[in-house]
Amino acid sequence: MIEVKNLTFSYGKDKQALHGLDFAVGDGEIFGFLGPNGSGKSTTQKILTGILKGHGGMVSLFGKDIRRVHTQDFFQKIGVLFEFPYLYTNLSALDNLHYFSSFYPKKQLRDAEELLDELELKRDSWRKPVSSYSKGMRQRVSMARALISSPQLLFLDEPTSGLDPAGAVLFRRIIENERKKGTTVFLTTHNMLDADLLCDRVAFLSNGNIVALDTPGNLKEQNSDRSVAVVYRCQGKREERTVTAVEMKEGIPFAYDELISIHSQEPTLEDMFIRYTGRGLS
Amino acid sequence: MRKNLWLLLKKDGRMMASGKFFLVALGSLLVYTLYIHFGYLRFMDMEIYNVYLYDPAGTQDEASPLIHSVGSLEEMDAMLAGDANGVGIRVTDGKADVILYAGAEKIDRHRADYALSLLHPDKEDRPEIVGDNSPEMKKRKEITCELLFVEIVAVGFLGMASVLFKEKKTGVIRVHAVMPFPKSLFVFSKVFLFLLADLAFAVFMVLFNVGIAETGHILPGLLVQTTILSLVMAFIGFACAMLLKDFKQFSLVYLVIALFAATPVFLSANTSVKMEWVLYHPFYHAYMGLKNAFFGMPVMNPVYYICAACTIILLFGAASAAFYKEMGKEG
Repeated sequence: MIEVKNLTFSYGKDKQALHGLDFAVGDGEIFGFLGPNGSGKSTTQKILTGILKGHGGMVSLFGKDIRRVHTQDFFQKIGVLFEFPYLYTNLSALDNLHYFSSFYPKKQLRDAEELLDELELKRDSWRKPVSSYSKGMRQRVSMARALISSPQLLFLDEPTSGLDPAGAVLFRRIIENERKKGTTVFLTTHNMLDADLLCDRVAFLSNGNIVALDTPGNLKEQNSDRSVAVVYRCQGKREERTVTAVEMKEGIPFAYDELISIHSQEPTLEDMFIRYTGRGLS
Repeated sequence: MRKNLWLLLKKDGRMMASGKFFLVALGSLLVYTLYIHFGYLRFMDMEIYNVYLYDPAGTQDEASPLIHSVGSLEEMDAMLAGDANGVGIRVTDGKADVILYAGAEKIDRHRADYALSLLHPDKEDRPEIVGDNSPEMKKRKEITCELLFVEIVAVGFLGMASVLFKEKKTGVIRVHAVMPFPKSLFVFSKVFLFLLADLAFAVFMVLFNVGIAETGHILPGLLVQTTILSLVMAFIGFACAMLLKDFKQFSLVYLVIALFAATPVFLSANTSVKMEWVLYHPFYHAYMGLKNAFFGMPVMNPVYYICAACTIILLFGAASAAFYKEMGKEG
């Protein structure tokens, strides 16, 4: 679906934002693009969506060179959710969806009301101006806008930002459903939980370079010391010990009266990111 | 393409309506029309300077009824002290002397000549009148032209900004970057709507203030000039709204345009003040094109139209470039 080779981009002479990125995203894959602010995530997404021109290297989408692909036909195949919910605030959710969807062929459109139902936006707000909505409600309408044209390739920038935990769970379910339909998802995020739960593969971006690219499971596994932390009680005292997988082969390798908890010491994606880049995500 | 343009036009029309643009334009039309009918024409019929005559011997029996006679020099001094623009005439031994508070040298000469002319108003040395317009029609055309120019330069320009800043603030411009239609349609639809609004405004201004009989004769040339001015201002407004941060900055730019662009044009075109450099001022030519169209003398020089077309094409390019820059910005 997406193939990128030696992608470079500069804002002016001295401000190189991307230093030769290489990656590929397969059909129906959810690909996570992770990096701190200023690492080049948005620049890459803008190049892929045709907003920024003048890049170096080779980028192909839908099997065609990006320089020839940014036609109306291309924009009909993609859906973009921006980091902020960009909507006409004087229009209602339904009017926004009807307006934005009217530029696409009718045969590929989804029903606006069904989508709003799916995104659990309360029915009594559908016809009210967006100016009266909370940020979470606006984000739901924006997601509906991105999905209404049944895109084959979906670009999501911080999709769960501004949502409460239930909203975040709902969005993850919707993204999973899109994948099941065969939609390819390019997910740009800071949110490690989203990346871990959703992405087939993730790329860590730092200062315009990809410093690691693999499945979240592999990245964690490769850097794990394969140990667990055991919390237990012995002779009335609460104790904690870290035990390796080898030591655990024959069972708990020490005396105890009661086991309280056993936690894997596998590193998180954020730990991995810091290890690879030396920087935090925020 | 046509369907997409129609969708954008519908949306922009709705934005303009919700921003009360049409209401403001209608209000302006009403206020201008009332001003022309009940204000301007009456003001222009008033005496330009009061003239006070002290003629103790009563020798000036042909004097105009516009002259106010005074009984003493002290009374004349008192009148002139209270009316510094007034002109006094003192007649002694049949000789008339002009007395006035000094202002600008050239205007003082005019004031003195005017006052003396009132002593013999029926003299048969009146100038030959050329042109078909009656004095009232001339005044109507002049003021309608000025107000139409102001409306297009100011209100259309600010109206464009108010619609665009709303879209900029909500970020929807960036959504249009990934919509399946040629991006130049976004610029075109807005400019086209403002052009239609300006043309409709021009038609009604002329109908209401110049009259139906004259409208048919001058309208074609007038619409051409309105189109040129409207497109120029709409593209400048579009580019400024895209490049500037907020409406405050935009208002400052508007002030610069109003003060430094429009003022010298009005001065040069409507008064005896002549500045040689004004010939290099593009707004001067746009204003004179409009004014000449009002007086049934549309610009025939092809260079004017070639320059106007090139300016519009360049401004379209600048507005489109500013639009692309805005689309690529971060949230």
